[in-house]
Amino acid sequence: MGLLIKIAWRNIWRSRTRSLVVLGAISLGIWALIFLLSFSRGMVYNLIDNSIRREIGHLQLEHPDFQKQRDFRFYLEDADSLGTLMFRDPHVLAVSERVVALGMVSSAKGARGVRIWGIDPDRESGVSFIAEKVVEGDFLAPARNPILMSRRLADKLGLKMRSKAVLTFQDLEGNITAGAFRITGLFDSGTTPFDEGTVMVRREDILRLTGGDGQDIAQQIVAIIDDPDSVGVVRDHLAPLFPNASLKSYAEVAPEVALYESQIGLMNMIVITIFMLALIFGIINTMLMAVLERVRELGMLMAIGMNRRRVFLMVMLETLFLGVTAMPVGIGLVIVTLRIFEQTGIDLSIFSEGMREFGMSEVVYPDPIPSIYIQVAVAVFLTAFLGAIYPAWKAIRLKPVEALTKI
Amino acid sequence: MAVILTRDLYKTYNPDTIPVHALNGVSLSIEEGEFTAIVGPSGSGKTTLLNILGGLDSPTSGYVEVGGTDISQLSENELIDFRKNHIGFVFQSYNLIPVLTAYENVEFVMLLQGRPEKERKERTEALLAAVGLADHMDRRPSQLSGGQQQRVAVARALAPRPSFILADEPTANLDSHTSANLLDIMGKLNHEEKVTFIFSTHDSRVIERAHRVVTVEDGVIISDEGMKR
Repeated sequence: MGLLIKIAWRNIWRSRTRSLVVLGAISLGIWALIFLLSFSRGMVYNLIDNSIRREIGHLQLEHPDFQKQRDFRFYLEDADSLGTLMFRDPHVLAVSERVVALGMVSSAKGARGVRIWGIDPDRESGVSFIAEKVVEGDFLAPARNPILMSRRLADKLGLKMRSKAVLTFQDLEGNITAGAFRITGLFDSGTTPFDEGTVMVRREDILRLTGGDGQDIAQQIVAIIDDPDSVGVVRDHLAPLFPNASLKSYAEVAPEVALYESQIGLMNMIVITIFMLALIFGIINTMLMAVLERVRELGMLMAIGMNRRRVFLMVMLETLFLGVTAMPVGIGLVIVTLRIFEQTGIDLSIFSEGMREFGMSEVVYPDPIPSIYIQVAVAVFLTAFLGAIYPAWKAIRLKPVEALTKI
Repeated sequence: MAVILTRDLYKTYNPDTIPVHALNGVSLSIEEGEFTAIVGPSGSGKTTLLNILGGLDSPTSGYVEVGGTDISQLSENELIDFRKNHIGFVFQSYNLIPVLTAYENVEFVMLLQGRPEKERKERTEALLAAVGLADHMDRRPSQLSGGQQQRVAVARALAPRPSFILADEPTANLDSHTSANLLDIMGKLNHEEKVTFIFSTHDSRVIERAHRVVTVEDGVIISDEGMKR
C-alpha cells in the first residue's frame, strides 16, 4: 500500500500545471459552494430574524377567534396575568401585550388603512426591534395621545413630527370610533409593507378610545425565548397553561418563514448535487486523460507483475489525492473569507428597495452551518471516489501486450 | 533442463475478418543459462513469439511451458502473478517508472512480491552495482541517459530472480558504445550467474554475442544455430 501511495502521490505531480489547475478548480469550487450556502443561509435567517424581531416574536398567544377573523372584539382577558405567566417560564426572555386593531390613519392629505398596535413601550422594546429603528423623536414616551409611525407612511400622508393624525377604528361594541394623535416618533424598520401598514400608540390610549378603559385586555401576547431552535418544546410546555387561548410558534404564525427555513436544507442538497455533478465530470476528464497518456506505462506495470487490483487502486488513490489536497485549501480559503464577512457583513444596499419589500436588511451576514464543512468534505471525497471509478476501470481493461505497443 | 518449451504454436490475428498468421507451428526449447537471440525481419513473428513466451499474449493453439507450467492455461490474473515471479522484461524503450528513482524501480517488483526489506535493499544495491549504477541510485529516469536507463531496466528485470529474461530489442535505442557496454553486463550476468536471456533483435552486435540464434520468418523457425558457447 505504501508503494501505491508513493507512486500515486508522485503521479499527480507529473503534470504539475494540470494538477494545479485541477486542484485550483476544486478548491475554488469548495470555496464558492460553502460561501454561497452560507450567504443563502445568512439571507434566509436575516429574513426570519427580521420577521421575528419586527412583529411576530417566537411565540404568540391570541384569542382563538382573533386568529381567524382579526376582529377587535376577540381579545384575551387578564392579559397582564397571562403575560406574567408566560414570562415565568425560564426560556422566555421578554413578553409584550398588544392591543391590535385594524383601522384608518388620516391626515389632511389623505388616509390609509393600517394595523394599530396599542403597546407598552417598555415591554414592547423587549420583543421588538422597532424601538431601535426610531429615526426621529422617541418610542412613545409619555405624552397626550402619542403616535409612532414610519417615516415612509408619514411622507405619504404629508405628516411630520408633531403633526396630528386621526385614527379611526372599531370599539369593543363594534362601533366606529376615532381619536386624534400627535406624532412623537418616526421609525424605519427596513420593511416597506410593515412601515406602510403599521402605526403604534400607547395601549392605555387605545383602550380608552375603544371603551376598554382600565381593562386588562390584549389581542396578542408576543414572547421572545432564549433558544429559537427549541421554540416547539417551549410552546408545548406552555400551551396547557392557556386552555382558552391559542399559543403558536412563529413557524405556525408565519408559515412562509417556516418554509424559507425548511428550504435551506433542500437548497443545500441541490447546490451540493450540482457541485458534485460538475466536479465529477471534471475529475473523470482529468483522470481519463492521465490514464490515456500513460497507457504504455500501465501496460508495462501489468507486464512486470502489478495486478489489476493494484492498478485500479493506484488510479483511485491519485484521484482521491487530488480531492483530498484541494479540500483543505478550499475549506481554509472559505473559513478566512467567512471570518471577514461575518464581521463586516455583505452590503447589498444597491438592492435595498427590493430587499425592503421582502423585509430583509441591506447588510447580510453569511451564516455557515458548522456541519457544512463536513458535508462538503464528504461530498468532495465521494465525488472523487465516484469520478475515479471509470478511469480506473479503463486502466485495468488495458491488455499489456497492446498497451506496450502504444506510442 | 528446459526453461521454455513450446510445441506447435500458432497465432492468428483477426481470425474472423482478415486473418494474419503470425506464428505457424513454432516448436522451441530453451535451456537454463542460454543466451539466445530470436532474429528475423519485421513482421516475421519474433515479437509475437516473445510475447507468448512472456505470457503477455496467448497462442491460438499450441503448448507453451515455462518453468514446468503450461502458461496457455492460466487466467489473466494468474498470468500477471506468474510474470511477476518467473519472467523479467527488458523493453526497447526502457519503460521505467518515471516517478521512481533507479533504486525504487529495481526494488519495485520485489515489493510486489512481498520480499522483506532487508533482502530488497541488499539485492537492489547489488544489482545496481552490478550494472555500474551504484552512484546513480537516487536518480529518476529523466536524470539518466538512455544506456543508464536500460541498465536500470536490466537490474529491475533481474531483481525478482526470474526463470529467464526476455529482452525486446534492448539495444535498438542505444549507440554502439552503450550497446556494447550493456551487452557486456548481460553477458557477464549470463556467464557468472547463469541468468537465461532471450532477445528479439535485428542488431548484429547482439546476434554476434548470442550463443544461439533462432531465425524466424513468416511465423516459422527457419534456422536454429545451436549453442555456440
